[in-house]
Amino acid sequence: MFGSSDVSAAREPRTTDGTIALLNLQSQIDVYERSAVHGQGAFVELLMLRAHLLGRIKDAEWANELAEAGVRQADADGAAFVTRARVRATFHRFTEALRDLDEAERLGVRHDVADNERATIFQAIGRYADSFVIRRTAADHLSNFETLGALTVLHAESGDTATAEILFDKTRSCYGVVCPFPIAMLDFQRGRMWMTAGDLKQARIWFEAACFRLPDYAPAQGHLAEVDAALGERKAAINRLSEYAVSSDDPDYAAQLARILGENGQPEEAIRWSTLALARYNVLLGSHPAAFADHAAEFFLESGNDPERALELANMNLELRKTPRARELVARAAEAVRLRCHLMTQE
Amino acid sequence: MSDHGSSPRAVADPVIDITDLFAFPSPERPNHLILVMNTFPYCGPSALFSDAIDYRIRLRPLTIASTGAKAAFAVGEEETSFSCTFSAAQKIKGSHQFVQEGVCRTAHGETITFRVNDGHGSQSGGLRVFAGMRLDPFFLNGEGILATVLTQKLAFPGNGNNTAHGYNVLSIVIEVNVSDLFKSGDGLLFAVAAETMTIGSVRSRLERAGRSEIKPLVLLLKNLDPVNRDLELRELYNLEDPFQLGPHYVGAYRARMNANLPFFDGLDGKTDWPLDQGGTHPLTELLLADFLVVDVSKPFTEDGWFEIERAMLKGEPHRTCGGRWLNHDVIDSIFNLLVNAGNGPLISDGVDQATQPSSRAFPFLSPPNPSPPSTLPNLSATIAASATRD
Repeated sequence: MFGSSDVSAAREPRTTDGTIALLNLQSQIDVYERSAVHGQGAFVELLMLRAHLLGRIKDAEWANELAEAGVRQADADGAAFVTRARVRATFHRFTEALRDLDEAERLGVRHDVADNERATIFQAIGRYADSFVIRRTAADHLSNFETLGALTVLHAESGDTATAEILFDKTRSCYGVVCPFPIAMLDFQRGRMWMTAGDLKQARIWFEAACFRLPDYAPAQGHLAEVDAALGERKAAINRLSEYAVSSDDPDYAAQLARILGENGQPEEAIRWSTLALARYNVLLGSHPAAFADHAAEFFLESGNDPERALELANMNLELRKTPRARELVARAAEAVRLRCHLMTQE
Repeated sequence: MSDHGSSPRAVADPVIDITDLFAFPSPERPNHLILVMNTFPYCGPSALFSDAIDYRIRLRPLTIASTGAKAAFAVGEEETSFSCTFSAAQKIKGSHQFVQEGVCRTAHGETITFRVNDGHGSQSGGLRVFAGMRLDPFFLNGEGILATVLTQKLAFPGNGNNTAHGYNVLSIVIEVNVSDLFKSGDGLLFAVAAETMTIGSVRSRLERAGRSEIKPLVLLLKNLDPVNRDLELRELYNLEDPFQLGPHYVGAYRARMNANLPFFDGLDGKTDWPLDQGGTHPLTELLLADFLVVDVSKPFTEDGWFEIERAMLKGEPHRTCGGRWLNHDVIDSIFNLLVNAGNGPLISDGVDQATQPSSRAFPFLSPPNPSPPSTLPNLSATIAASATRD
């Protein structure tokens, strides 16, 4: 499927075995968990990291509670506001997150620290030009894995694959430590870029690189399954997704599994997973509507089979983030609604 | 503190973080040297060593090149080392537990394998190795140190709380026959340093440790530095070969030490270490040679830390093995050294022993605490941030 040189290059540099790294992350979280000092920003960061890597929404919700408590306990501490801004941004509460960053700066947090967080939010809501200004300034000031990586992912997100591809290599060459998480996350973003661009072969290389480094990296495994399915390897995709549909509390895995099972001619199993995903999405949309609007819209467009609800959620998502993907999601949902109306009229 | 969380990179990935280095003649086996490298501060029960790191302890023979105000060592060219590497984690069948294997390679080609957390360690010839989780033997009054730095006065109450109470670390303990150390058999005075190195096509140094408190205390404060007031020097310092500092940044390290050492000297309101005409502190060059110094011709002693260097400064022959024993109160020693040059009155931080003092039998360190307390605030970062505000 792909050249061995590509694969071996993607597996450099050597980093700590993914299982060890996750055990060590668990070890750090365990120590914090026993602590009475729950408001610490470092603990929130560790939880958010595990939430992303393992697809654990309950970790993100826990981090959210702690970040809110952190601000309540130390409302003159700018760092607590930065931590809360990060968590709020993860839950797509972008306006509140930006307000937190202003407050953090007022309380003495350095402008560049606050701006770094703002750039992430600007990118998420489609204000690419604003984000580029901050990211370029940071990378010009100090070119390292963090600043170059952030600029690279912004290029990727904005659709400039040619520049991003050059920068991905450059960023990887800056990696001088052994923690597997940042480089696996970078490779995952590279895979996402190629998947969006429609180059599934390239996407697979980078999702596999991320999974090689970190076999339990749930989003990378989920996207790899999507690539497998798109390339006709549905059985592999089903095997890959089944584990995460069970272990993760993120309904995205069950939703994807339902879709692929349906395409594979297994309607009963598809309905079972779709029902599970629906129940979970309903709960999450009740508690964090903004955070799950886009993924839920995708679900209702596919195995959830409810284009009207998909359009409602896609519009909600577009209100929050004017990204090409959000616009495309609205367009797809509107088309699905139109198609359904047309079919109903014909009936 | 000691060397816990001694740079931003170490804080970001504690598996690379060397917390302490100890070297001492074995109290139980004559003619054997014990080397202990502790890593991963405040680790929880599931912590394991990285399989992408070479945990390495290096030794070189030393001679005393000069004594008195310009006391200095000459570091020999010959080197011996102990490189410990680890496997990926292997799950035990039918359990949620993981095991890890390790191998220690000496510079002379000797190899010994061991299983992590096997309390007996592994032995082959004159070499014995243990690796696994242990109770952190370090102890300090972190609150007192923080208050001292912030108030610029000694702020140790009579009884302090051990900030490191109950925490665990990942330890590597090596026992080696002294006669196996160097082929030439030359010398009985050694420099000892520990490093975490990347494994793979590119090998680079991530952390290093020698004497205690150099990075977390002596190099930490930026606000007094007349040259680099906003530079995190410790990250650069970690990249350096402990036996031979490169020429590029040594001036920056000197400037930082020459600025910070007088700060500590002045904490008791008097000057015990007058600077020379060029503004150089008498300890700067000696501390830049950042390794433990151990004399294996001398018997085991509990309080040898920096005794060899102090004797050199006085122009006298040293009396002890030097090095660093696990139960030695290094915080008291460093404050007495930096603040009053050992001239008294005696300074104590009010914390005089570890959670569970180490034993005198291999592997020396106490078994781990199954329920370690909450993670420490990063004391170095707190001190650095607080001291930079003014």
